[in-house]
Amino acid sequence: MAHLQLDDLTKHYKQGKSVIRALDGVTLEIDDGEFVAVVGRSGSGKTTMLDMLGLLLRPTAGRLIMDGTDTGKLGDRELAHLRGTKVGFVFQEYNLLPSLNVLENVMLPLRYVNDGKDGRKRAEDLLERVDLSDRIRHKATELSGGQQQRVAIARSMVNRPSLILLDEPTGAVDTETAQQLVALLKSLNEQDRVTIVVVTHDLDVAAEAKRQIRLKDGKVIADDVVTPIAVA
Amino acid sequence: MEILRNISRRKLRSVLTVSGIVIGVLALTTMGAIAENFNALIDGGVKYFSSNVQVGPPDGQTASLLPISKIDEIKKVEGVAAAFPSYTFSAKPGAVSAVSFGFPDLIVAGDPEESNWSNLKTTFAQGHQIEPGSTGQVVLGSTIDKEFKKKIGDTIDLPVRPPDAKPDFVNHTFIVVGILNPTLTAPDTFAYLNTADGQMLLKDSLPSAIRDQIPVSAITESIDVYATPGTSIGELDKIADRINNQVTGVKATKPSVIVNSFKSGGAIFTAITTAAALLALVIGGLSVVNTMFMAVAERVREIGLKKAIGATTRHIMGEFLLEATVIGALGGLIGYGIGAVITILVNANTPQGQSTLFLLTFRLTVIALGFAIALGAVAGILPAWRAARLDPVTALRNQ
Repeated sequence: MAHLQLDDLTKHYKQGKSVIRALDGVTLEIDDGEFVAVVGRSGSGKTTMLDMLGLLLRPTAGRLIMDGTDTGKLGDRELAHLRGTKVGFVFQEYNLLPSLNVLENVMLPLRYVNDGKDGRKRAEDLLERVDLSDRIRHKATELSGGQQQRVAIARSMVNRPSLILLDEPTGAVDTETAQQLVALLKSLNEQDRVTIVVVTHDLDVAAEAKRQIRLKDGKVIADDVVTPIAVA
Repeated sequence: MEILRNISRRKLRSVLTVSGIVIGVLALTTMGAIAENFNALIDGGVKYFSSNVQVGPPDGQTASLLPISKIDEIKKVEGVAAAFPSYTFSAKPGAVSAVSFGFPDLIVAGDPEESNWSNLKTTFAQGHQIEPGSTGQVVLGSTIDKEFKKKIGDTIDLPVRPPDAKPDFVNHTFIVVGILNPTLTAPDTFAYLNTADGQMLLKDSLPSAIRDQIPVSAITESIDVYATPGTSIGELDKIADRINNQVTGVKATKPSVIVNSFKSGGAIFTAITTAAALLALVIGGLSVVNTMFMAVAERVREIGLKKAIGATTRHIMGEFLLEATVIGALGGLIGYGIGAVITILVNANTPQGQSTLFLLTFRLTVIALGFAIALGAVAGILPAWRAARLDPVTALRNQ
C-alpha cells in the first residue's frame, strides 16, 4: 500500500468568470521513505500540490489517500489531527514564532498533538541532531537563516511524522547552507525512513531527491527516478 | 508564558489596553466599595426594622411623646411578645454635620433586654451590657468609642457639651461599661443608656417652662414592639395594623414600609455607582477588542503555521481568547490593587468619629476581578473567531 495515493486529484479556483486549474487530475503514488522533488515553473501547481498533500486544501475533485485513509471523508478536526501526527511542514520563510525560543519553537507541535511522552527530550535530541543544542534558549530572531531553517526542520520532526513537506526550503539561504540542509534532509530520509516531498526551484536540491515530479499547468508532465547522470 | 510574551511584544499598545481595563476596574472597585459601605448601613437598618414594629405618636402630634402606659396596652395586642420604650438624642447637640456616610452620633436609651429581641445583633469588644435597673452606665459603639478614645471604666459626659453651649446646658457623666465590635451600621455611632437615664435626658431636653410638670418616668418617645423571634415581616405588618386599630393615641408603622424605603434607597445608589463604573469598564473592554483584532492581523502567518502543524479551529480560538482573558485579568488585578490601596488609605485617614467611606468585601473583589476577566474573554471572542476561521493556506502566505 502506498503511503500517499493521489487519484485524479484536482483543485480549481474560480476567479471572476474564469477557472484557474491549479491542479488538474493528478494521479500518482508516493511510497514510504521516498525522497521526492516536485519541480516546475511558478504557477505550475507545485505549491497547491504540496498544500493538498499536507491536508491544508481540500480537492475540488479526486481523492488523496494517506496510509489507506481517504482524507476527503475526514472532518476539519480529523484533518488537523492527521496533519499534527503524520505531516511535518518546512517553509521557505521558516515561520518560527518570534515570541518563543528555539526549544519552544521545536516543541510547538506538541501543544496540539502530543503523545504525552518525552516530547521535550525528543525536541532536545532533534536540536542536537541539527547541531543547535547550544542555542536552545536563543530567540529565533537571533539565529542565521540556515540555523532558523534547521530549527524549522527539527520542529517538523518533533511529532515523528512519516511525511515531511518542504516548500522551497533553500530559497532564503546561501549555497553552502543549502547543501547542509539537503544533507540533513537526506539523513532524515535515509536514517529515519521519513518520506520527503520537497517543492523547489533549486536544481541541486532536486538532484538529491530519488524521484522528480515535474508539473506544468497543474498536470504531471514527468515523473522520473533521478540519477546523478540524468541531472548532470 | 507565550501569552505574556505576545502581550509584551507591543509594549505601548498593551500598556494602553491594560490601562483601559485598569481604569474601569479601579472605578468599579472604588465606587463599588462606596456602594458596599452604603449597603452595609442599609442592611443594618433592614435587619433592625424588619424585626420590630415602630410605634410613635399619631399623625398630627408634633411632640414625640407617648404615655409609657401604652406599652401595656400594646402588649395585649395579638401577636405582640414584647414592647420597649425608646429614647433618642443627639450625642453632640449643635454640632455642624459635615456630609458624611453613616449615621450621626446618637444617644439611644432603652431597656438593655431589647437587644435580645432585635435581629441586628451586637457583640462586645470589651466589657458587658448595661446592668438592668442601673443608672450612669453607657455602652459605646465602635466609632464613637474611637472618637472619644474611651476604655472600660472611663467616664464620658453626654450629651457632649458644644463649644458655644448656653449657660443652661446640662449633661451627665456616665461610666463606660461596654464597647461594641464594629457592625458597619448604626450601632457604631451610638451610645446606649438605660431607660432611666434616657428619661433623665428627656427631662433635660424639655423646655424649662414645662420640664417639672411632666413626669418623664411616665412617658417615652417611641415604643419598639416585637413579636416572637422568626415572625415574618408580613405578620409584623398585620401586628402594626392591629395596634393602630386597637390602641388609641399611637401610630404603628408597618416594618415593610420602612424596610422597602431602605432597600429602594440602597438599590438606586448601587445602580448609579455600579452603572458608572461598568460604563468605564466596558469602554476599557472595547480597547481589548481593538488590540486583539490588531494582534490577529499581525499574526496571520503564525495562525497559518499553527494550523499546519495540527492546531484545530478550537485551539486557535482558545489561544486568542486566553490572551484577551489574560489582558482582562492583568487589568483587573492592577485596577483592583490600586483601588484597594486607595480605599484602605482613605479609610485609614478618615477623621475620628466619622464613618469610613469604603467597604471592600469579598463579593466586590469577586465581582471586580470576575467582571474584568469575563470582559477580556468576551472582548476576545470576535477577534478569536476571526483568527480561528482563517484559511491556513492564505494565512501561511500572508505577507
